[in-house]
Amino acid sequence: MITAREAGLVACDFCHSLNRPSIDESDNTTLLQMHCHVCGSVIYSRIPDSLSKTWALVIASLILYIPANVLPIMTVVLWGDGSPENIMSGVLSLLDAGMWPLALLIFVASIVIPIAKLLTMLGLLISVQLRSKWRPIERTQLYRITEFIGRWSMIDIFVIGILVALVQFGTVATVTPGMGAICFAIVVILTMIAAHSFDPRLIWDVMEEPTRE
Amino acid sequence: MIHYETGGLDYRTARACHECDLLQYIPILRNREVARCQRCKALLKKRHVESLDRSQALAVTGLILFAVANMFPLISLKALGVSQHGTLLSATLALFDAEMPFLGILMLFTTILFPLFSLCGTIYILTSIRINHYSHWIAPMFRFLRSTDTWGMLEIFLLALIVAAVKLVDITEVKVGVSLYAFSLLIGTLTTLNLTLNPEDVCDHLRKHAK
Repeated sequence: MITAREAGLVACDFCHSLNRPSIDESDNTTLLQMHCHVCGSVIYSRIPDSLSKTWALVIASLILYIPANVLPIMTVVLWGDGSPENIMSGVLSLLDAGMWPLALLIFVASIVIPIAKLLTMLGLLISVQLRSKWRPIERTQLYRITEFIGRWSMIDIFVIGILVALVQFGTVATVTPGMGAICFAIVVILTMIAAHSFDPRLIWDVMEEPTRE
Repeated sequence: MIHYETGGLDYRTARACHECDLLQYIPILRNREVARCQRCKALLKKRHVESLDRSQALAVTGLILFAVANMFPLISLKALGVSQHGTLLSATLALFDAEMPFLGILMLFTTILFPLFSLCGTIYILTSIRINHYSHWIAPMFRFLRSTDTWGMLEIFLLALIVAAVKLVDITEVKVGVSLYAFSLLIGTLTTLNLTLNPEDVCDHLRKHAK
């Protein structure tokens, strides 16, 4: 059992060809940008600055998560009466209207998934920084799920877009998007990029340490 | 000396897991078999017979359905004698009109440009492989398609459309448009395409030409 890095090889993330860099890998700082010999992609043993990039993105989304939930995501104007709605009140109004399956769907997509995703990313970052050896398989699976599921939070943004496009009945009924929607969209985008910039191989790197003696 | 410690593996045929970096051999797979990493269980390789031919057919189907889905309204509202038609593009345009260009651009890319580019790019790449033509565009283009895969969000748009329709059904009359059928079929086609297209087969083509 040996990893590509221990063997002095760099795998291409795109075409999975193994490359043998000519520069000695032990001197990481002088490593120039390398390209895959097959497809020409930029290759690296580990995503460069993965942890600091991911930290920055996760913290930025944590900050933006507050205005995303407080500010109105849209304003529904019916017969001249405007009622601003934020994410939670949107869920509650669906619940009041007796549409609980939809309320549940929006609740999961807009509230549970973003929070779970941010907490998972924080947990992964902290565990890697503490060089934890706790359950690497489960942590990798958690990462895989997080990466896959994050995009579904976008559903609320799309609902707003569709409502804004459809409900344009002059003075009777209109829907306008609010600042909260922009903040929420940025949160979703940033967490998607954060999941992408996190290198799951970092979870496994500490596992090699005792055998390296 | 570290360079020779490959654990008896030949690096030209071995594969490193993209999630945990473990070097391993992948056995020859039969149709519909998948290979997972020994250590972290990541999906390393799958095999579908005629993956490229089937994908090409699906991509062409998808492009036709995409055109139809954009031509006619997906959904129509009727209230107080006024009709509103919603096409795929109208959500994007409405967000631009509402002075939310950021959301408009997001909508434009995730529901129109990325899916369209993905279909056209897939057709181009698979046609090139079929006629055994090699160009320097294939590798960067396929890389771009793979990396923007998660940003095409048509299936999320369909779910959002259902949510919006149910929200409006109490207030107005909601009618299903012609394009909604094409749109639903398109999502089925894209999902099948994603499962059928084996990136490994495209990379094999690249490897063949690199040597």
